Amino acid sequence: MKNYDVVIIGGGVIGCCVAYNLSKMGLKNVLVIEKDYLSSGSTGRCGGGIRQQWGTEANCRLAMESVKIFEQLEEELGEDIEWHQGGYLLLAFTEEEEEQFKKNVALQQRVGVPVRLVTSQEAKEIVPALNVEGVRVASYCPTDGHANPSKVTIAYAKNAKKNGVDFLIGREVVDGIVDDEGGNKVVRGVVLDNGEKIYADKVLNAAGAFSREVGMMFGVEIPTTSYRHQILVTEPLERFFDPLIISFYHHVYFRQEKAGGVVMGYGDPKELPSTKVNSTFDFAKTMAHQILDLMPVLRDVRVVRQWAGSYNMSPDAQPILGTVDGVEGYYQAVGFSGHGFMLAPAVGRAMAEMMLGKDTFVDVSYLSVNRFKGGVDTSEVAVV
Amino acid sequence: MEFVRRIVEHPVLEYEKGKKIRFFFEDREIEAFEGETIAAALEAAGVRWYRETAKYGRKRGIFCAIGKCSSCLVVADNRVVKACQTLVKEGMIVKRLRGKPQIA
Repeated sequence: MKNYDVVIIGGGVIGCCVAYNLSKMGLKNVLVIEKDYLSSGSTGRCGGGIRQQWGTEANCRLAMESVKIFEQLEEELGEDIEWHQGGYLLLAFTEEEEEQFKKNVALQQRVGVPVRLVTSQEAKEIVPALNVEGVRVASYCPTDGHANPSKVTIAYAKNAKKNGVDFLIGREVVDGIVDDEGGNKVVRGVVLDNGEKIYADKVLNAAGAFSREVGMMFGVEIPTTSYRHQILVTEPLERFFDPLIISFYHHVYFRQEKAGGVVMGYGDPKELPSTKVNSTFDFAKTMAHQILDLMPVLRDVRVVRQWAGSYNMSPDAQPILGTVDGVEGYYQAVGFSGHGFMLAPAVGRAMAEMMLGKDTFVDVSYLSVNRFKGGVDTSEVAVV
Repeated sequence: MEFVRRIVEHPVLEYEKGKKIRFFFEDREIEAFEGETIAAALEAAGVRWYRETAKYGRKRGIFCAIGKCSSCLVVADNRVVKACQTLVKEGMIVKRLRGKPQIA
């Protein structure tokens, strides 16, 4: 039996970043519980992109704060995270996309994102290897970037450990300890898969793909659903393009990582809800087909690895952050819908502030689960 | 007389010795037989160093010889290929791969 101020369920980038920020703010009696290994879930399997081009002002602001932290993160944590500020290039192939891009870019510029619309010719100048046939317009933000998700997670964890945070690796939380005090639930701790109980004043659900299941352990209903997303990487090549490129039309994103491999993912619209992360040959075929349309020079390049991870989708494709009415001591940072890694530095800091009862440095109140009470706003459509 | 390492039997490739042809490795003219791989011809000609690693520039040659390991990557007629899996052609220009492949 152990006592902690805070227990964090999930050793992904969110859990480790919250732990680091709590310890940095002086709270050191913190435990992170990870059932497999740090970054083994969605974090370590993700594409690693970091963008500020979003469809609502609040999302843009949150992403901008995240980029500000990423820009100095290697210095702050004293670790290499393969940060590459190569920008994001989004391609519009349809009239609807073109209209949406124009609206989004106007909104993003109003908030201060250094983004601009570029012609297909300019897109070709930014990435000469790109096939721009059919591109109506593109939006380009040079301060977006990408980094290595595992390295970021490990760097946060190392620094949290240095500050006194405990990590329990290879143990799974199987239940919550919740008291009923006059109709109000109060969280007391968690039960591990070996039967051991760990008591805590506050518990954070940062369980990624398994957020819904973990929520239920505390009697909390979370409207999230997980979907498999497959991804692959080619053999290393000399760097030949900088930005992460997205074509929503192709359901494809791709970037060149620091070691030189081209990482690419295809969001299959026919994928059914599940937490499985196996690979299929069908994906490799479709991915190859789609990428050769966009970047024909990859024709003779070999694929060296293929894998999959989970998108923990929320009803409006935005994270669900904060407390839950009627369950004291319970916090959640879930439903990141495929963009948890890029938001982690800002969300991690804001969640830590929230858990310490401070004002958050950036507004995240709009991401409370309470937003779904009046129906779902689906204005943030730009997710792949 | 020097011992000649010519691959005549292979676990994954069928080898049928064809007519004598010539190709070039790093400007050196090398004799080969139609139907054999670049690696088979290079090994027979005494070449052991096929490429340099990207990070430290270390020398690499044939390792698994069955197309699995990528140790034997060379640039053949401007394409990066596995020497152990690619058939040699008359007049082919083969170079050492130095560093990471450049494709654009």
